[in-house]
Amino acid sequence: MSEIKTIALLGQPNSGKSTLFNNLTGLHQRVGNWPGKTVEQAEGSFVFDGVTYRVVDLPGSYGLSANSEEEVVTRDYIQSGKADLVCILVDASQLERSLYMLADFVGIRMPVMLVLNMMDVAEAAGKKIDASAIEKRLGVPVLGFSAAESARYPEFFKKMVSAIKTPICLDSGSLREELVGEKSNGEDVVSRIEAALGDFEYGVCEKIWIAEKLLEKDKLICGVVNESLPFARKNAIDAILDSEEGRDGGILTGEAKYRWVSKIVRESATPKSIEKVFSKWDRIATHHIKGKFFAFGIMVVSLIACMILAFPGIGIGFGLLPVLESAVQRAGDALGVWPVVISFIRLVLIGGTCITVCMMSFIFSIIFVFRILEEIGYMARFSYAFDSWLSRLGLQGKAIMPLFSGIGCTAGAVCGTRVLDTRGQRLLALVLLWAIPCGSKVAVVLFLASTFFGSAAPLFGIGYVALIFASFYLSSRLFGKKLVPQNERVGMIMELPPYHKPHWKMIAAMVGRSTWGIFKKALKMILMVAALFWALSYAGDGNVENTLLYKIGNAIEPVTMIFGMRWELFVSYLGGMFSKEASLGIMSTLFNHTGEAFSLVTRVAASENLGDVLANTISKPEALAFLFASMFNVPCVLAMGTTYREAGSVKWLCTIMGYYVALSLGLGFVGYHIGLLIF
Amino acid sequence: MKNADFVDRLSLAEMGENRCGTVAQIEGDSRFISRIVSIGLTPGSAFTLLKNDGRSPVLVFCRDTVIAVNHKESSQIFVKVEL
Repeated sequence: MSEIKTIALLGQPNSGKSTLFNNLTGLHQRVGNWPGKTVEQAEGSFVFDGVTYRVVDLPGSYGLSANSEEEVVTRDYIQSGKADLVCILVDASQLERSLYMLADFVGIRMPVMLVLNMMDVAEAAGKKIDASAIEKRLGVPVLGFSAAESARYPEFFKKMVSAIKTPICLDSGSLREELVGEKSNGEDVVSRIEAALGDFEYGVCEKIWIAEKLLEKDKLICGVVNESLPFARKNAIDAILDSEEGRDGGILTGEAKYRWVSKIVRESATPKSIEKVFSKWDRIATHHIKGKFFAFGIMVVSLIACMILAFPGIGIGFGLLPVLESAVQRAGDALGVWPVVISFIRLVLIGGTCITVCMMSFIFSIIFVFRILEEIGYMARFSYAFDSWLSRLGLQGKAIMPLFSGIGCTAGAVCGTRVLDTRGQRLLALVLLWAIPCGSKVAVVLFLASTFFGSAAPLFGIGYVALIFASFYLSSRLFGKKLVPQNERVGMIMELPPYHKPHWKMIAAMVGRSTWGIFKKALKMILMVAALFWALSYAGDGNVENTLLYKIGNAIEPVTMIFGMRWELFVSYLGGMFSKEASLGIMSTLFNHTGEAFSLVTRVAASENLGDVLANTISKPEALAFLFASMFNVPCVLAMGTTYREAGSVKWLCTIMGYYVALSLGLGFVGYHIGLLIF
Repeated sequence: MKNADFVDRLSLAEMGENRCGTVAQIEGDSRFISRIVSIGLTPGSAFTLLKNDGRSPVLVFCRDTVIAVNHKESSQIFVKVEL
């Protein structure tokens, strides 16, 4: 049994934590939930010198106050003492500010290593940072580093191994001096609280840390102290806190922490010119009107870039499909293989793989383009530009980007919700995203509208847009309160990170890894669904009436007719959950009897006269029902897969699916019955 | 009257663009204070106001960082403006 050591990564947003995490763990990572919380837990591992290191990526936060679920999770984990080493990452180019996290950590008895990340950026800005001098002052291991440069990793490993071998905690003495101030007779507020706490113990936290958090009115610590201290001592503490009239405890500790930081780093400050920090670009990007136009421009360009990037993959997928199919058919015929085997290989294995390749290419390109935007630093500008709009739905401004790219591909856009900061935000964005039609869905809806309602089709287009916005309102009312609680919806306070040059190699490696990870899961899932549908729809003699699907469809038709859908339409609706093309393909087969069997994956193009046949067979109320149901149908099988991955729970996937099935069937029901009255 | 201290002081929301100043006082609940302190603004911090159009979040440059603060909240941060 080899040794296992645990490293926790702690750092503020934009400190490069995720870059370090990804480079350390590579493909060996998994994302789940913290038990009982809607907070994402990213864990990975790597082996170095025969020792396995478990890496826990703690949610990014600016400090250790318990203001959000993320921060609570971070603190709980640190206080649990499970980590052998807490690796604190700070941005060397904004050293003074980002060292606040370290200052907030002082007083927690856990072994620490400080990583001054982005040294390359700091050096380029003309800053001279002496890591060894900082190490001397702090007494814990300090490393000057750049997580995006793979050549610097040996230094990291060396430092890390020695930090674990000889664990050192931060000494709280120097911070205490700052907190106590000039009073040295124990009359200051911190010493008085410490004295009142008496023999109170709280895991790895020193009393000075507890005193700080009490001054900051930290809800969790106040609660713990209230519960565990005897009444008299509790009152004594309250009296001390109350005696601080006018002085806010949080300001007092904050000032002390920054004073402590400024003594640790006496930066060779190079005053930057304002033009450098706040360029002409940023003036436009943050303008309240021009900024939005500018951002829309970026979104459109990104979407086009995604389509261009996705094009080769789609070409390969759809190009190979007929070639491979006919090859298998010929080989099978020549060898005399059972037709059922050939059918399975063609419709499930080949078709499933090809369609996965097609669908994945858009996912790949969205991950790629989003990664670049984030790396450059533009993603935060989206937040700035759109915060006032999206905060009404409970979302951050940068949610605009994944929502917008939903027009291109829902499954890809789902992966793009990764840019949002909290899991609640991500889940809420996922819910909204499923209502946004991708290109294929728009095509299907417009085809149906123009087939059945001819020149009135544009009206359906407008109505569709109105319904989407109405669904946003409904979703944010239904899910918003739980996912993004009111007390977390505070006005924007955030950092606009400086623009960085992207590290292409690093981006390519990260995008490659996540795409490959999704591809493997997607392939499994698509093959499974395709196999199931194949089994239901296979008939040895090619007669639809001999399929299981036909029998089931007929049996449940009385139920589906409530929503205005005869069994053929309902099966098409179910096929639409797999892919929009499948929905049309199935209709083609069922109503027009083209194609030998109905399949989800073979691209049965909607035959030319499908429109005429449908218009003649299906009544207007039924058409209305199917049209409305199609608008809010589940996007596609891959969107389900990526949603499961981002949500990290089956429960949430089922909740979102159930919501949209109910919404679409409900609309179908309303459409059908209104149609019955009108037509 | 507490307000007497602020005759010559403004809130961040009222400050003009491209002016330099220092934070004098921050008002608000402990949650707001912990957020604003942890991002780098404390009494005594010197900063430059980069942008204030009266509606979008105010942008200040402080401790080598561009920080955006919602316009409403920025009126809870009082500043001394350099002349």
